[in-house]
Amino acid sequence: MAIETLTIEVAQEMAFGYTAIGAGLAVGLAGVGTGLGEMGIGAAAVGATAEDREMFGLALLFTVLPETIVIFGLVIALLLLFL
Amino acid sequence: MFQPKPMTHLLIAAPKEQMASVVTELYRHQVFHITDFVDQGKEGYEGVRLGTPLEGVGELSTNLLKIRSIENVFQTSPETLFDIPKRPAVTIREAIERELPAIEMEVNALTVKRSAAESRLRECEQRITELKPFALVPLEMDLYSGYDSITTIAGYVANEVPINVPHEKYYAVRKDGNFLVIFVETQNATEVEHILSDADFQSVTVPNETGSVQAAIDKYTAEQILARTVFAETGAKISELKTKYADLLAACDEVLSGDVERAEAPLRFATTEEAFVIDGWVPADHIEPITAGLNQATSGCVYVTVDDETNAAAIPVEYNNPAFAKPTELFMDVYARPRYNEIDPTLILAIMFPIFFGFIVGDVGYGIIFLILALFVRKMAMFKGDGGRNLIKILVSSSITTMFFGLLYSECLGYSLPWHALIFQRHLPMGADAAAHAGGPEAMPLLIVSIWIGIAYITIGRIFGIINHYRMDRAGKHRTKAILGQAGWIAILWSLLILVCSFFSVEQMFGITGMMPDFTTVLPIAPGLPGTSLGGIILLVLGCIFLAQENVLDLMEIPTIISHVLSFCRLAAVGLSSVAIAMVVNYLSFGMFIDPALANLDAVGVIMIIVGGLIFLCGHALNVGLGLLGGGLHSIRLHYVEFFTKFYVGGGIKYNPFGLKRKFSEE
Repeated sequence: MAIETLTIEVAQEMAFGYTAIGAGLAVGLAGVGTGLGEMGIGAAAVGATAEDREMFGLALLFTVLPETIVIFGLVIALLLLFL
Repeated sequence: MFQPKPMTHLLIAAPKEQMASVVTELYRHQVFHITDFVDQGKEGYEGVRLGTPLEGVGELSTNLLKIRSIENVFQTSPETLFDIPKRPAVTIREAIERELPAIEMEVNALTVKRSAAESRLRECEQRITELKPFALVPLEMDLYSGYDSITTIAGYVANEVPINVPHEKYYAVRKDGNFLVIFVETQNATEVEHILSDADFQSVTVPNETGSVQAAIDKYTAEQILARTVFAETGAKISELKTKYADLLAACDEVLSGDVERAEAPLRFATTEEAFVIDGWVPADHIEPITAGLNQATSGCVYVTVDDETNAAAIPVEYNNPAFAKPTELFMDVYARPRYNEIDPTLILAIMFPIFFGFIVGDVGYGIIFLILALFVRKMAMFKGDGGRNLIKILVSSSITTMFFGLLYSECLGYSLPWHALIFQRHLPMGADAAAHAGGPEAMPLLIVSIWIGIAYITIGRIFGIINHYRMDRAGKHRTKAILGQAGWIAILWSLLILVCSFFSVEQMFGITGMMPDFTTVLPIAPGLPGTSLGGIILLVLGCIFLAQENVLDLMEIPTIISHVLSFCRLAAVGLSSVAIAMVVNYLSFGMFIDPALANLDAVGVIMIIVGGLIFLCGHALNVGLGLLGGGLHSIRLHYVEFFTKFYVGGGIKYNPFGLKRKFSEE
């Protein structure tokens, strides 16, 4: 029976498994969020740069703004795995 | 350092006869930034208007136009040519006079010949396409026309159409539309056309040829081949001329552009009936030589005054940085050139960018790869121009810091070096060395260091903000408010820090345990409420008041303090992910393919070694690319978004001295 085999070691392994899933979800979902955020900005930024080369710096700046979200996801994943 | 080059406002006035010599003298010095005169009809400027170009500008422009058109034929441009030995301007001028007409004639003749061949080629192609369907009809071309009472109808149709009047018909099935030729009596032609148009008939005109269709096609094919040869020959001749003259033309272009710029300079001056005034800027240390030079050139007929201009927005900005920081000016210009009276953070960027890059990637192997890549790109001259060269220099310094941090982290392509990590252990417990890194990476200390860097950056940014407001804003209530607002941001940041430390025992600072003083037990007011927390709350309230007095809506932005500080976590996080990718690649290639294959070598083993080697190469190539992108983009972004937004205004005018920067010629 499943309940009988659930020793402390197994429970710990399972807990680690869930942590790993959580870490994966944190990075993955945050990445999706960043992607969605950068989608519109990136398109507009390329358009603006095509119109005026001088806009490149500002366009790059706007494009990387949502990147912080995925970094937060990555940090949470690291905390989950290594804390 | 932290300041652009000091500039002085000069006004040069002289009688109109001296215009040419003044312009030539200014052009020679190549330091005078001309402020264009705009004729706005302002009060006090009555009778002042824009100058007219110097004599001879027409001929110069015509010659320049000729050169540009030849360059256009050659498809070259001075911007794409590099590392060509400089020629003396005198010989170039001679060449413009003597050789240019001949070159122009030769190139023109070739271009005419080439375009004639090209149009003939197209014409033949079209004729052949027209004739091809008629090859399916067993009739000579003469038979299609020349009748009095018979009309020929030819064209494409989807299916064979029954026609109920006397006619002669040829029908050929083709892949791209079935071809139909019908001969009918002219009186019935309209009726037939009606029937055909109902069947989606597309008529074609009968080519005006004689003899057999195949013969006509052969004739045109032969002509086509001939035209193609002529086209190729003239093209070859043109590219021959290009290799011969491209350098000379670029030099001529440069000399003439310089002459035209000089001749057209008066268009930027303010002139009256008898005199003219040039308004502009020179670096402060060039006033003496330029004044002396002008006096000598005009034998004293010039009046030069130094004006104490206070409008900083109008002053052109030239960087003033030590040589090692010069390449980083590229990154500054991508964002925006600093204004004249604001802090120029180039130096900080020049020092910190490579350090951030190294901190993130931190791997001896990747550092060496970056260095080789940079040197290879420089050797092959793949990046042309100043921008590319500066980028390579930045990459070189970044690769050196990467190697340095790699030594500290004890990392080489994801493997450990023979010593334990000196500062932060970033290896995962994975692969052959899993036992040595059983504890996993020291993620927490790395994150703590990153956050302290963030706190330091944001505090420095706000302090710069205070200095900038002090310097750039006009003295008064607004300036005080702005400065207090910046101070408020610093107060809130540090009060939050103090509060966190008051309620939670934070043991680590810079990742080192015991360096952080324990605030939780300082001057306890009540159990669990240390005295520092009171200080923190007072500072927080003060900060909020300072912030709100500048703009109440700024209170909404307080969470950005936390998000901007936490954003610096990327220094740790991106680096750890890069190590993880490297270790996974090593595990996939060696752990799963190469090592087992070597243990028991046979035919399958050889294939496994090859596959493992491929995984190793591709995986690390991917990680090198990601490292360049991650290390570079995240480092620059931390400066652009988290640091510059605190104080940087930018939008200064680029210092653009009058006088061409010579690439191909020398006086």
